[in-house]
Amino acid sequence: MPPKVDKEKCDGCKAEKESLCEQICPGDLMTLSEDKKGYCRMPRDCWDCMSCIKACPKGALETRIPYQLGYHVARLIPMMGTNTITWTCIDINGKKETFRFINRGSADE
Amino acid sequence: MEKIKVPSKVGIFISDPGGRLGSAIALDSVLQRLAKMKNVGRCEVIADIWSDGFLHSVMEDVKAGNLNRILWVGRFSPNQQKRLKSELASAELNPYLHEWCDIEEQGIGQEGTDRDIQTQKATMLIQMSLSRARFLEALEPIAMPAVESVLIVGAGVAGLHAATSLSKLNKKVYLIEKESGIGGKVAQLHRLYPRVCDPRCGLEFEVKKLRESDKVEVHTLSQIKSLEGSPRNFEVKIEKQPRYVNEERCNACGECNKACPIQIPINEAFSPTASGKGAVGILSKKAIHPSEPMNFPAAYVIERTYCPPECRECVKACPTKAVELEQTPSEIVVRAGAIIATTGWDAYPLSKVEEYGYGLYPNVISNLDAERILENPPELKEIGFIQCAGSRDERHLSYCSSVCCSASLKQASYLKEKLPDARIYIFYQDIRTPGFDEELYQKVKALDNVIFIRGLPSTVKPDGDTGRLKVRAEDTLSGKEVSLNLDLLVLAGGMAPSAGTNELAPLLNLPRNNFGFFESHLQCHPEESQRAGIYIGGSARGPMNVSQSIDSSHRAVVESLQFVDGTFLVEPTYPVPDKTKCDKCKRCMEDCPFSAFYFDDQGFPTPDLAKCRQCGNCMGTCPLATISLRNFTIKQMAAQVQSIKASFLGKEEPVVLAFLCGNDAYYAARAAADSGLTIPPNVFFIKVPCAGSINNAVIADALSIGIDGVLVAGCKDGQCHYVKGNQLVKTRSGDISDKLKKMMIEPERVRFESLEIRDSEKYVNLINSYIQDLRAMGPNPFKE
Repeated sequence: MPPKVDKEKCDGCKAEKESLCEQICPGDLMTLSEDKKGYCRMPRDCWDCMSCIKACPKGALETRIPYQLGYHVARLIPMMGTNTITWTCIDINGKKETFRFINRGSADE
Repeated sequence: MEKIKVPSKVGIFISDPGGRLGSAIALDSVLQRLAKMKNVGRCEVIADIWSDGFLHSVMEDVKAGNLNRILWVGRFSPNQQKRLKSELASAELNPYLHEWCDIEEQGIGQEGTDRDIQTQKATMLIQMSLSRARFLEALEPIAMPAVESVLIVGAGVAGLHAATSLSKLNKKVYLIEKESGIGGKVAQLHRLYPRVCDPRCGLEFEVKKLRESDKVEVHTLSQIKSLEGSPRNFEVKIEKQPRYVNEERCNACGECNKACPIQIPINEAFSPTASGKGAVGILSKKAIHPSEPMNFPAAYVIERTYCPPECRECVKACPTKAVELEQTPSEIVVRAGAIIATTGWDAYPLSKVEEYGYGLYPNVISNLDAERILENPPELKEIGFIQCAGSRDERHLSYCSSVCCSASLKQASYLKEKLPDARIYIFYQDIRTPGFDEELYQKVKALDNVIFIRGLPSTVKPDGDTGRLKVRAEDTLSGKEVSLNLDLLVLAGGMAPSAGTNELAPLLNLPRNNFGFFESHLQCHPEESQRAGIYIGGSARGPMNVSQSIDSSHRAVVESLQFVDGTFLVEPTYPVPDKTKCDKCKRCMEDCPFSAFYFDDQGFPTPDLAKCRQCGNCMGTCPLATISLRNFTIKQMAAQVQSIKASFLGKEEPVVLAFLCGNDAYYAARAAADSGLTIPPNVFFIKVPCAGSINNAVIADALSIGIDGVLVAGCKDGQCHYVKGNQLVKTRSGDISDKLKKMMIEPERVRFESLEIRDSEKYVNLINSYIQDLRAMGPNPFKE
């Protein structure tokens, strides 16, 4: 399932030729519509890698979890720190779990 | 970022003169904790920093390589900081390798807080600074050469004064004017208030200096075409329209003028009416005429649009063979370190103020037209003045044009001198004569037959075929209707941004305010445009009178000097993108309040050091957190945040991290601690150059390690020193709040507030109420 775009928040990455979601998508699926908002042009090809969601500076993108994993209400949300990702998983009953990971390659010493 | 080759060895010195700190916190346990930290070389409490033995031993350690960065804990005045830096510079410690940690401004040492908690908080505060100190780099200020010349756009009274004072300071000046002569609006006036003298006198005085100076290059009939380069080294392309007279050959003898068969109307904005048939007679000139408004340069100019194509009368008449009808537009390029825009003002088009009939009736004239007839006024019996014609009117100019009251009073008093029997009526809303202009007002009020009517006319109509005007108004003071027959009606029109301003703004990329004048920080830096190296002088930044214009242009001159004075040192704490991570998304370029970025040869955004004000808004906006101010990096900020143990007060008690703008909120917080207000132990703050320099990743870091609330305190709207940093961070912190909502966490855990410099009490109350709110919310789910 492709990511959901909050059109209020998406600013089409302002001046850019390619928006950040477009740049990062490994399948080259994200692009800008005529009104300069991001959208997924081949929804069936998206494999939910969530790269675009992590890259979006406005927090305008959200994963729609495939029904095999969880119905509506279920959510998976990353929050990007400087060298960490904090994941929030919400299941169909609204039960929440969080995980915090330190990114590889960012430790200095 | 470069890899740190030599491992950091930080010396931590806690200054505790008089043992005040030692009585509030357990310094021993602080030292014990710190000594175990990574990269700590030496860690001591010092009673007297200035004792010989101590500084000497530090220098020895630095020389021996045992210490390479120093963290000073305690309060050091700027002078003491300077002295320590210079003392240690003699041991070859780079001055950028010092870090200062004032724990008292964070509330340490206050009575009434548990000693153990204070000790823990103090330890964490020092650890925060330590994590910054570890990543400090040795830096050197960057010397940038400057072109020692200034370009001045507009040779009105402001531009002229700027040019002459710069030439006195021995700076090269290029003075650009689009008319054929210099002098601008002021040269077209007949008398100046308050001394009611001829403006030409003052202007000639300046022109004389111009003539004598070999530093000023005047280019008339010229306009800027494009701007390149950066402050201290601008490259400006200027287009010169042909004069058709060789400036060097012409000696202004006037033979051509006698020979010229073509009469043309005088500058249309100045003719009494559009049709040219006014009550005060038509004024005209020849197609070849001296430079206008002032005949400097002293050469004639031809308005070729009026010439019949075959006419060569002037060519025949000229004894010096100066007429060159084949001239074409030319282009020159000048290099300047700074630019001063003195593009002035234009009269608001009075034909838009329809109810007064300007342009319809010949004897309705503007106050600028009136200047022309002051010298030889025709026999007039009854004259009316309408103030605020267009000003202070939402349909036209919503602001007060600030000079029209005094100008009309000046004209009235002068007319009464010439026409003692005339009656003068002044219709006004309020008479505004600030400062010493009040004297003029009192003088005019005392004259016979000058009648002030409070209320603007509702109708102006011709009075049958008599050629006079019928004016109706309500005198709001007496409540009676007034109906008058007038010979002449003068409209005190307002000051609007000039055509030159409109043309220049997009060329120089200068922001303008709501009224169309150039934008500046009116109180603190009135002459600074929001582009480095470009200054605004005179009425190009708002309505002002002649003396204010001159003041303002001189201020612009003083400010511009820093950009034209030989070599300039740039602080090395400018932003640098990490090219291994930057994906060239250009958000930093978009959000930079000063448009300081350009693309380097590999296509990476790079700040132009001459334009950059080092506010850090690029660092705040970067979605990948890859651009950082040197020695104030995102990595350092993140390390600082991660030094906080969110559960040090127990899991239930909230901990707040505040990011305070270094221009005002920080001072409010520091003053709060100094004035003895109780700072709750729950709050830690980090001072930032501008609230806009806070990256969302750092806020996310703080939340993910369990800090209960993040407060971002910046300036009020419209008060940000860096134009829009506060607004940028406000939208960004809003974005992160929305994300928190999705994560089923209270969005109020990230909060944006505006604080002014004296808001100490507000700061403490804000923190206290925030802590209350956070207690009600319960602990951050990420807290361990």
